[in-house]
Amino acid sequence: MRLVFYTGKGGVGKTTTAAASAAHAAALGHRTLVLSADPAHSLGDVLGLRLGGGDGPTPHRVTPQLAALEVDARATLDPHWGAIRDYLVSLFRHQGIEDVIADELALLPGAEEVAALLAVEAAASSGEYDLCVVDCAPTGSTLRLVTLPEIASRTLRLLLRVQRAVAAVVSPVARAVVPVPLPGPEVFRDIDRLLYKRLSALREILLSATTSIRIVVTPERMVIDEALRAHTDLALFELPCDAVVMNRLFPPEAAAEAFFAGWGRWQEERLAEVGELFAPLPVLRAPLAPDEVVGAAALAAHGALIFAGSDPAARLCDAPRLRFTRDKRCYRVELPLPHARSDALDVAKLDDALIVRTGTRRRAIPLPRKLAQLSLVSAKLEAGLLIVRLAPAADGAR
Amino acid sequence: MRVVLLTGKGGVGKTTLSAATAIGAAEHGHRVFLLSTDPAHSVGDALGRPVGARPVEVAPNVVAQEVAVLDEIDRSWSAIQDWLRQLLREGADELLAEEVLVFPGLEELVALRAIREVEALGDFDVCVVDCAPTGSTLRMLRFPDALAVFMGGLFDLERRAARVLRPILGAIGMRGFVPGDDVFGAFERLVRDVDDVRQILLDGDRTSARLVTNAARVVVDETRRSFAYLCLYGVATDAVLVNRLLPEVARDGFFAKWLAREHEEMESLEASFGVPLLRAQLRATEPIGVEALRAISREVYGERDPAAILHRGRPLRWRRLGAATLLEIDLPNVSKEEIEVTVHGEDLHLRVRDARRVIALPASLVGRRLTSATLRNALLEIRFAR
Repeated sequence: MRLVFYTGKGGVGKTTTAAASAAHAAALGHRTLVLSADPAHSLGDVLGLRLGGGDGPTPHRVTPQLAALEVDARATLDPHWGAIRDYLVSLFRHQGIEDVIADELALLPGAEEVAALLAVEAAASSGEYDLCVVDCAPTGSTLRLVTLPEIASRTLRLLLRVQRAVAAVVSPVARAVVPVPLPGPEVFRDIDRLLYKRLSALREILLSATTSIRIVVTPERMVIDEALRAHTDLALFELPCDAVVMNRLFPPEAAAEAFFAGWGRWQEERLAEVGELFAPLPVLRAPLAPDEVVGAAALAAHGALIFAGSDPAARLCDAPRLRFTRDKRCYRVELPLPHARSDALDVAKLDDALIVRTGTRRRAIPLPRKLAQLSLVSAKLEAGLLIVRLAPAADGAR
Repeated sequence: MRVVLLTGKGGVGKTTLSAATAIGAAEHGHRVFLLSTDPAHSVGDALGRPVGARPVEVAPNVVAQEVAVLDEIDRSWSAIQDWLRQLLREGADELLAEEVLVFPGLEELVALRAIREVEALGDFDVCVVDCAPTGSTLRMLRFPDALAVFMGGLFDLERRAARVLRPILGAIGMRGFVPGDDVFGAFERLVRDVDDVRQILLDGDRTSARLVTNAARVVVDETRRSFAYLCLYGVATDAVLVNRLLPEVARDGFFAKWLAREHEEMESLEASFGVPLLRAQLRATEPIGVEALRAISREVYGERDPAAILHRGRPLRWRRLGAATLLEIDLPNVSKEEIEVTVHGEDLHLRVRDARRVIALPASLVGRRLTSATLRNALLEIRFAR
């Protein structure tokens, strides 16, 4: 099953773009599921249907080839997160935090993301779809969505270890001296089951070759700036972007109106800029429609305009990904990091992982066993490609 | 010092309106500091001149600064991160301390500490802040509480049980679990700093938040949610600014239907917040520079002083009563026959006569049953079951 995520800043028209590409793909004959992970669901509005309520996690059949689903994070996660939430609420209340706020604080951060991933997994294992299109929440959350399995599983290994040791040995003592409730085993069982086991499996799906991410932008500088950062961050986590969609471009008749002529020219400049900045990714042009695009038929027609002959289910660009190569006694790790700046880049080696930080994001890239014993010799950024050299310590390296 | 916080979804023109607010406040005779805490700084773009991490005068009586958010974070977190790294290594697992420490929203809150530094200068009457407090940032206003809960356990372990526990932790290879003095110090500083910011933000006489939005449905939905969270966490919101309204000349061309949709959204906005709704039209070109910003400020605020408190009172109040949760809304001059309350998904719809007010529910209330709504002494009390 092909998995295509549409992401971008809030308000750029992700939902319409995702639904249009799904409707177009369905019209081309792919069995397609479009699912919304955005807590502010508007997929139903765009399709002109009521998706929420009642039928739970069952996708709504829109046309013979197109199904749609708004993921209900609360319903999906309650069985998994219940014990953890109850514990947190008791903890916060114990500290005298107002009840309503205690309830809020105890919500799972990224709950929508986790629920969406679980829905993606269900769609993949059902075998009923050739293509799953995901309408993601704004960029920051998307990244959290796709990186959560990696981060959570690493964090939880530690937590579980600490808990087992502390609970078994220390808990009887600690309960007597520590003035807060301590978590019981059911809390850690939930954490282990939900976050560690299921999320690790989801990570496999995300990193497989069948996943693509498309960034939706509008011709506005701030939106484009954020898209650039998102592109770097996605590359850091090896999540393959295969296109940029430039949404809400004024059609010629709109740009011809006196008041809007200046904005029309401004948009052309942004379009050219985005083409250069994101190369080699193709930039798809989505024109502003005269009114909101609603309903499967209108969406399919809009999707045909956006894709202009290409297949929304196809991989639109094969961007390079993480590579390990050998160069005499040296090993090279190559990681494409488009738009990264060397003054905001940090590389270090910690045991058997390579730690890369760009801006506020950090990732630990696990190294193959053979490379894990080597020392870091150099790291440099060349035309958007991070090249790290590793060599045996005896070679004079640190 | 007054603090005026402009917030809203990215791309709605928040920075332009922040800069316009600062310029307008200076015109009313205030000494103004314009502070950007959004990591994607664009104050310089709006002013048409460079602005950086050091304060710089950008107009008469207006000084601007873009906070170097990353440096701020590194400064306050390095000791804590070192400890976690140590802890994780002793856990025989090469985890990333930094990742463990990513609390969504905390970064922005750390950046907001800069407000306190501006106040300490004593040279300014108003601090206009261009920031992006999302739901998670607002949650982090309660971070000192949450951190105290988690760390309180550890602190007490240290203080009250160190003698008992140290040998045990040592025996299981987790000596690093007990943090050193520098770590305690860093945590305490962080908690104190965030608490200071909270004191400022939650003081309605000092701080007013203004939500910037566009009259487009998706953006309006998000604005309602932000408004609900600002009310829930107790930040006084005194106005909603609607930016980039299509001009009436659009009526006869390609944008006719979009203009009609904007009018619909405006109607719904007027009824939604219970605070003043201020407007700015879309310009024919990108507004850049002090002159353009001054014109926008006049359009938005009219004769009003942008630094003044434009509205007093908390339009929505939540509290807990036994197992139920209550939402209180002031509704003067209305009789109960004229009110209808219903829940639609994540929103509460409150119909008063012909106006429908849509109130986004905090995530923890979504899915709860609405059990009663009572109007007493101009106060509407809506009750949700557990």
